[in-house]
Parts: sequence; C-alpha cells; structure tokens
Amino acid sequence: MKSKSYLTLALAGAAALGLAASARAEDKPIVIGVNTAIQLQVGRDAIDATKLAIDEINAKGGVIGRKLEMVVADEGEAAADGPKMGIAAVNKLTGEDHVNVLLGGYDSGVTLGELPHIIRAKTIFLGIGSASPAIQNKMKDDYDHYKYIFRVNPINSAKQAKGLVDFISGKLKGELGYQKISIIGENAKWVQDVVPALKKGAEDAGMTVPLAEFFDVQTADFSPLFAKVKDNGSQYLLIILSHAASDVFVKQWYDAKVPVPIGGIDVKGQDANFFDRVGGKSIAEVSTNFILRAPLTDKTVPFWDAFVKAYDRPPVYTAPGAYDAVYIYADAVRRAKSTDTDAVIKALEQTDFVGTRGRVVFDELHEVKDGPGFVNELFVQWQNDGKRVVVWPKDIATGKMISPPWLVQN
Amino acid sequence: MAQILVYGAVISAIYAMLAVGFTLIFGVARILNLAHGAFYALGAYGVYVLTAYGHLPLLAAAVVSVLFVAGFGAAMERVLVRPLRRSTLAVLMITLAVSLMVEQVLLLIFGSEARNVPSMVDATVAIAGVDISGQRVIALTGGIVILSGLWLFMQKTRLGAAILAVSQDAEGAQYMGIPSDRIFSIVMALSAGIAAAAGVLVAPFQTVIPGMGLLPLVKAFAIVIVGGLGSIPGSILGALLLGYTETIVAFNISIEWAQIVSVAAVLITLILRPAGFFGKRAAF
Amino acid sequence: MRSMIDWIGAGVAIAVLASVPLLAGSNYLVVVLTVALCNAMWAASWDFMSGLTGRENFGHALFIGAGAYTAGFLNTALDLNPWWGLPSSAIVAVLFSLVIGIPTLRLRGPYFALAMLSGATVMQSLTIIFSEYTGGQDGLNGIFPILDSQTAYYYLTLAIAVATVASLKFIALSPWGTILRAIRGDEATCQAAGINVSFYKITALMISAAFAGLGGALYAHALLQVGPDLFAVILSINTIILVYIGGMGTIYGPAGAALLFSLLIEKLRFLSEYRLWVYTLILIFILFFLPKGLVAPAWVWLRERLSGRRRKRAEDAVA
Repeated sequence: MKSKSYLTLALAGAAALGLAASARAEDKPIVIGVNTAIQLQVGRDAIDATKLAIDEINAKGGVIGRKLEMVVADEGEAAADGPKMGIAAVNKLTGEDHVNVLLGGYDSGVTLGELPHIIRAKTIFLGIGSASPAIQNKMKDDYDHYKYIFRVNPINSAKQAKGLVDFISGKLKGELGYQKISIIGENAKWVQDVVPALKKGAEDAGMTVPLAEFFDVQTADFSPLFAKVKDNGSQYLLIILSHAASDVFVKQWYDAKVPVPIGGIDVKGQDANFFDRVGGKSIAEVSTNFILRAPLTDKTVPFWDAFVKAYDRPPVYTAPGAYDAVYIYADAVRRAKSTDTDAVIKALEQTDFVGTRGRVVFDELHEVKDGPGFVNELFVQWQNDGKRVVVWPKDIATGKMISPPWLVQN
Repeated sequence: MAQILVYGAVISAIYAMLAVGFTLIFGVARILNLAHGAFYALGAYGVYVLTAYGHLPLLAAAVVSVLFVAGFGAAMERVLVRPLRRSTLAVLMITLAVSLMVEQVLLLIFGSEARNVPSMVDATVAIAGVDISGQRVIALTGGIVILSGLWLFMQKTRLGAAILAVSQDAEGAQYMGIPSDRIFSIVMALSAGIAAAAGVLVAPFQTVIPGMGLLPLVKAFAIVIVGGLGSIPGSILGALLLGYTETIVAFNISIEWAQIVSVAAVLITLILRPAGFFGKRAAF
Repeated sequence: MRSMIDWIGAGVAIAVLASVPLLAGSNYLVVVLTVALCNAMWAASWDFMSGLTGRENFGHALFIGAGAYTAGFLNTALDLNPWWGLPSSAIVAVLFSLVIGIPTLRLRGPYFALAMLSGATVMQSLTIIFSEYTGGQDGLNGIFPILDSQTAYYYLTLAIAVATVASLKFIALSPWGTILRAIRGDEATCQAAGINVSFYKITALMISAAFAGLGGALYAHALLQVGPDLFAVILSINTIILVYIGGMGTIYGPAGAALLFSLLIEKLRFLSEYRLWVYTLILIFILFFLPKGLVAPAWVWLRERLSGRRRKRAEDAVA
C-alpha cells in the first residue's frame, strides 16, 4: 500500500517536473549569434537586417512558440587583427552566450580561421558575407565534420567568376565586339584564384588579354595602371575590387579621363550612395550586385523599404543576406519542429525558400545555388544622375549600357 | 617615359612634404613624432568636414584645416610631449598613442567608409603629352610652393634663424636668449601644418579613411632615415628617390612590386650607408 | 628575502593561470588566454633584446611570422606531425634573425628600428605576392592542433611560456645580461674593454627571435590559421607598447602586461564600437602617467610592502 502511494507520488512529481522543464524549454528564446565586423558598413547592415527580421518574426509569434534573440560579437578589422578577434568572437558566442545558430562573416580569411572553432562547438553557421569557395569546399572531404557550415550569401567567388566570364563573352565580345581587354584585381587570395580563370575565359572567347595584374589593397595611386592599360590598346578594363579603395579608383579613372570603360566586381561600388559619394565620377562603371530596389522577388522591395524606413539608409549586400538567413533558419526550425542541431541541418538542406534576392536552394556543398530561377549575379551600371540600370544578363536587363561621357558613343 | 616623369614628380612632392615635416621636428627637438601620419589624416578629414558640413569653399576649408592641425600639433607638444621630453622612448610612445587615438576617433565619428573630398580643379591637364588630373598638378605645385616657402622662411627670417640655432644646440640657444621651449612648439606646429597641407592636397584623389596615416608615416620615416635624420635637403632627395623608384617599378613591372622594391631599397641603403645620405656620421 | 617573495609571486601567478580552465565554463576564456600567452612570449622576447641592449626592434613581427608560417607549412604543405613545428619554428626564426641581423649590426637607434621594420614589411609583401605557396591574404588554414583538447593545449602553452620567461629572466640576471645592459650604456667602452660587442648583439637577437618564433608557432596551432597580418607593422608596434606598459628590461613585466591587456580587450567587448577607443585611452593614460610602466613597478611596490611587513614582524618578534 505504502509503496504504491510512494510510487504514485514519485510519478506525479516526475510528471510535474517534466511539465515544468518543458514549459521552461518552450519559454527559452532561440538565440542567434551574429559574428561580424561591427565597425564596417557590411557589419552594421548585417546586424540591423538581422534585427529587422527578428522583430518581424517575433511580432508574428516567433518560431515554434519561442521568441528569437540576437547576440552580436565583433570580428574586428581583418586587415589589422587577422582572424584572432573573429575566433574569440565565435568562441564567446558558442561558449558563453550558448547561441543556437551563428550568422555572419565578411572577410574570407577570418571565416576560414573561425571554421574549426565553429565546428568544435557543433554549431550551425549561416554565412552571409564571405565569398571564398574554400569555405564550403571542405564539405567534400569530410561531410560529418563540416556539415554545420552553410552559405546563404553571396554566391561564391568561383560562381561570380563564371558570371563574369559570361559577361565578357556575351556582352563585351558578343554584343560590343571588343577584342582586347585588360584585367586587374586586388591581391586578395580569391581574386588571385579568379583572375586566371577570367583570362582563360576571355581568351577562349577569342579575345586577347594584354594585361592581367594585381595590386595591393592599400594602393593609393592607380595612375601607372591606367597608363599601361591605355597604352596597350585595351577596349575594356575588367576590375575586381573588394576591400580596396573603389572610391579612389573611380575618381582617379574619371579625373584622368581614361579612355577605357571599367566594370566587374566592385563591392564598394554596390552601395546605393556610391555615385554621390564619389561626386558622380562612377558614371558608366558596371559592377555586379545582388540587391537593388527592384522586384527581383516580391519580397525585395518591401524589405528594401522596411530597411530604409527603420535605419534611414539603403542596405548593402550583407543586409538581404542576413535577413534571408534569419527567415531560412526560422523556416528550417519550424520544419524540424526543434532547435536540435542535426535535425535543423537536415531541414536546412531541404530549404526551398523565396527570399529577397531570389529562390534559395542549397547544393550538396551547402552553397546557395545560382542560375536562372535561383540567386543571380546582376551586372548593374551607374548611369546619369545616379540611376542604376541592369545591363546583363540579357533576360533581366532593364536598359542599354552606356559609355563614359568622354568617349565617343558607340 | 614622360608619364613616369610627371606622375613621379607628383608623388615625390607629397612624400617630400611629409618627410620634411618629420625631419624638421626631429632635427630641432629630437622628437620622433609618430603622430605625423595622424596630422596628415586630420588635414584630409578637416577639409572634408569643412566642405561637406561647414559648406566652406575649398580654398578656405584647406587653410582652416591646416591651421587647425598646426594648432593641434602645438597643443600635443605642449601638453603631452613636453613633460616627457627627458625620455626619447616615452615621447615615441606617447606620440604613437596619439596617432592610435586619432585613428579611433575618426573611425567612430566618420566610420570606415572612404570619404569624398571634391577636387579644387576638375579639369584634366596635359603636360608634356601626359594626361593628368588638375588636382595632381595642384598637389605638385602646392608642394613646391610650400617647401620653397619653408626654405625662405628658414634662411631669411629671424624666427628661421632661431630655429636653426636651436637645432644645432638647444642649450646654447637658450643662453643666447632664444626660448627653446617655445621654438619647439612652433616647429611642431609647422611640421604638423605641412603634413596637414599634404593631406589636404591629396584628399581629392586618395583614400580618405581613418587609417590613412599609417603608410605615409612609415614612408616618411623611411625617407628621413635614408636622407639623413635632421637634414631637409636629405629628405627632399630621399623623397625623390622613393617616389621615382615606386613610379618606375609601378609602370614597368607592376604596382604590387612597387611597394616591396621601395622598402627593399630603404633596407639596402641602411645596410650600405647607415647614416643616410646627409645624416650625421654616428647613428645617434 | 627579496628573491623569496619573487618566487612566491611567480608561483601565485602560475597557479592562478593554471586554475583558469577549471573555473571557466567554456573554451572561450581558455583560447583567449592561450593567445595571450603567445603575446606574452613575444613581449618577453622583445624585452630581452631591446629592453636590455636598448636597440629598439620595430620589426619583431618578422620573427613571429616566420615561426608561425614555418609551423603552418610543415603541417599543411608537408603534412608533418605538428610537434615538429615547435622546434623548427624557433630555428627558422633564428635563421631570419641572422639574415637581417648581421648586415644591420652597426645600426642603432631609429636606423636599426627602421631596418627591422623594413625587413618585416618586405616579408609581408612577399607573402601576399607568392600566394600560391603562402595562401596570400587569406593565409594558411586547416592547421592541425597539436593536442585535441583546448585545455590540454593551454597547459602546454602555459608551460612553454613560463619556461620562456624564466629562461630569459635567468639569462638577463646572469653576467650575460649585465654585458647586454652595458652595451646599452656605452658600446664603445665595452668594445675597448675587450668585449666582442657584435657577438653579444647578434646572439641577443637570435635568442629573442627564437622565442618569438616559438610563440608564433604556438599561436598558429592555437588559432589553426596563419596570415600575413603576422608580419604586420601594427603587430610589432603592439608588442612594443605591451613591453613599455609592462616595464622595459624586466622580462616578467611585459609578459604580465600582455596577459592583462589581452584579457582587457576581450572584457571590453560590452563597449561594442567604443571598445578600441577606450582601450587606446587607457593606453595613453598609462603611457603618460606611468613612464616606467604599470606591471613591473606595481609588483616592485607590492614586494616592498610585503617585505617591509615581514621585516617588521621579525623585529617585533625579537623585541
């Protein structure tokens, strides 16, 4: 008799505890850790876009009944600190703040440095800014080890290069009939990997490439470069700038009235206020972009407007990436019905989500897919009065490409 | 060839301004001013603020900025450097700390994005068949004017003579009735002003970011050592050497190698001729 | 009496450092301190050469980077067992010190400073230009850890760092150290007294390089990554600042300052964008008001207090 009542009491107590525990688990917020360079525009925009997405989702009731929360850790300036600040940031977020997921990244070197530490902590990482293929390629060797790493944004630099080769052969050779182009890029590792591929692509298309050179990120004076390109008779100058001083580059190009149009990857040239920042001197420059205030999907313009309304400035490329990443994570957690890491990874791999930049699907390397219907690299040109016109790919072009004002119109 | 001559001249002029200011304060006050790059950056940011927010015309903004930085330099000397003058290392460290501080403040106020300073002249000019932006020509002429002005000042005025006296023997000059301390402040203001002028002249066509002063500081340091610490003609010669080496390599080989070649040239000069071109025989 | 308190002080410091992994909940602090210990080795090794001989080396990063990249190469390119990296890094760093040190022997003051700075800068540029071998701007990644447990690696680093500081201090207190200090005072007189000044100068540089390179290797295996930032001017400068705050010439002061300030900069994270600004402000404060540094003079002051009390108690006991 007595043992039965003790048993009942024990069972009841256990049930009560169990209920209490699960209730507490349901109240616990889902923590999103953001590791980014908070002193840079890309970092600030990533943080603000994450906050925007979190606020929107929380207003609609959160995810599986739980609210989303954000913790930020500074990766520092890669050029000065190297990856050590980023590594400390990741360790802090996973070890002390116990985040459920990491979101962030900008400098590929820092992200690569952080990877072993993220993996050691068995935490999912959604990349929103680093472009090096090396980050996701590690999946090829050891899926179980690296399965935590996903890239939501941007499409990696190898794919961007492929897009560039398309632009070279399709637009420059195909439509404009150029025969000679020069290629210059800053000496970041991914650029050093990409430029030979670009050269080959151009040559395969029947063009000659008299100059393919690199320059230090800190270069302040590009006049020798412009002079050489002018002298070798190039008809177009393909540029790859990421950390380097795009502002100075275009200003010097404009001031010297270099008779060679420029275009390519110019990360800083993606900024909505770039044209004004350089006093209009980026006119006729083509730069790849991933977001514009244009209906790439039906979520693009609402996001853009919401961001501008909340933060009084237009977003840079990491912002839509972060915004989409939060929604994608939330979607995966909903489908997995839990925040258990392995379950969410499986759910993430099944992602088919229409974000602000296009339809997001991950390939077997956890890379965001590119191509028609997915996320695309747009070639956008600065035209008069700072208007931005998509000049390539052909099927989504919104206008014709123009020449710099000092060149004869062709 | 003509391009190298013309572009090289512009770069050399800027380097000369930076180097001369650096060597001036060292020659006179024995201060290795690691905040020199900060003065350069402040000059550029000063003209940015005054044109973008103060809506001053460019020339006025330039003058005000230079004066402000000159004052800042004198204040730094008076408040932070003078109490520590006994230890050269302490002075080195405090000027270094000031430069770090300036960079951080600029980063906090203006962010890391490059700032746009409008050119004084928008036209492109052709010199000896070389297309060059008007602003660069202004930088070149500005540099020549300022350095010539400095030379005239040192040679022809009483204050200039006083400065030369202090540079030869500070104590002796004191006995002759020259207030060495005040001269130090004046020279620091001059040095800062010239650095700021360099910043103002290049701001329209170079990157205006908070960290813009580090590389020029290192280059000024290198030029001054190669030219001989405390020697103004040496600094000018060193500036020409470095400027032209960089330009020649950039045009003929690649921009990437330009930096490395100039640094290597510095290293080799030091190994072969430790006191620089015109420096004092013993190294310190 | 004095050395007894020194020993106790050292023992307490080591005990505190050793207990951190046991008290900390996660890897975060352990990794931060591992990196801090590497900084301590860099600072101590710089102090040994420049603090004692007075020849300020503005290119210490050359040895740090050389050691770190050696460890990285052996591991990633040659696939060697990571333990090989440690002695190899020291050896390579010493080789670098010979290459740059012998031609610059007769330089002093800012001339020497600039020569060393140039050496490090050249190395940094070369590392970026030859990116196929060095990984360029992104550096070498995927370096294997020497030990799988972060905590175990921390203890290894701690042991090596303590041994470094102890060895350097031992040499500094020995007749060797006296000669180095004499060289700072008056090189010509030393030469006249028959001392082979060049020998002492170059060996001091070699020893300094060896420990800096070793620290670089430990850093590489802690962060599992090396990059051209390890040759950067700013790294050399930060090391010098730490030495200055620690107290030039004391060896243990710079090591202590490195630990303290590495922790400080992490703890200041709550200031978000203002973090570095506050850090710099603190630096200026210390540089201005404490020209002899913070750590070493603080310890000396503490030691005086403790020894004074003990002496008093001894006197009271007698009376």
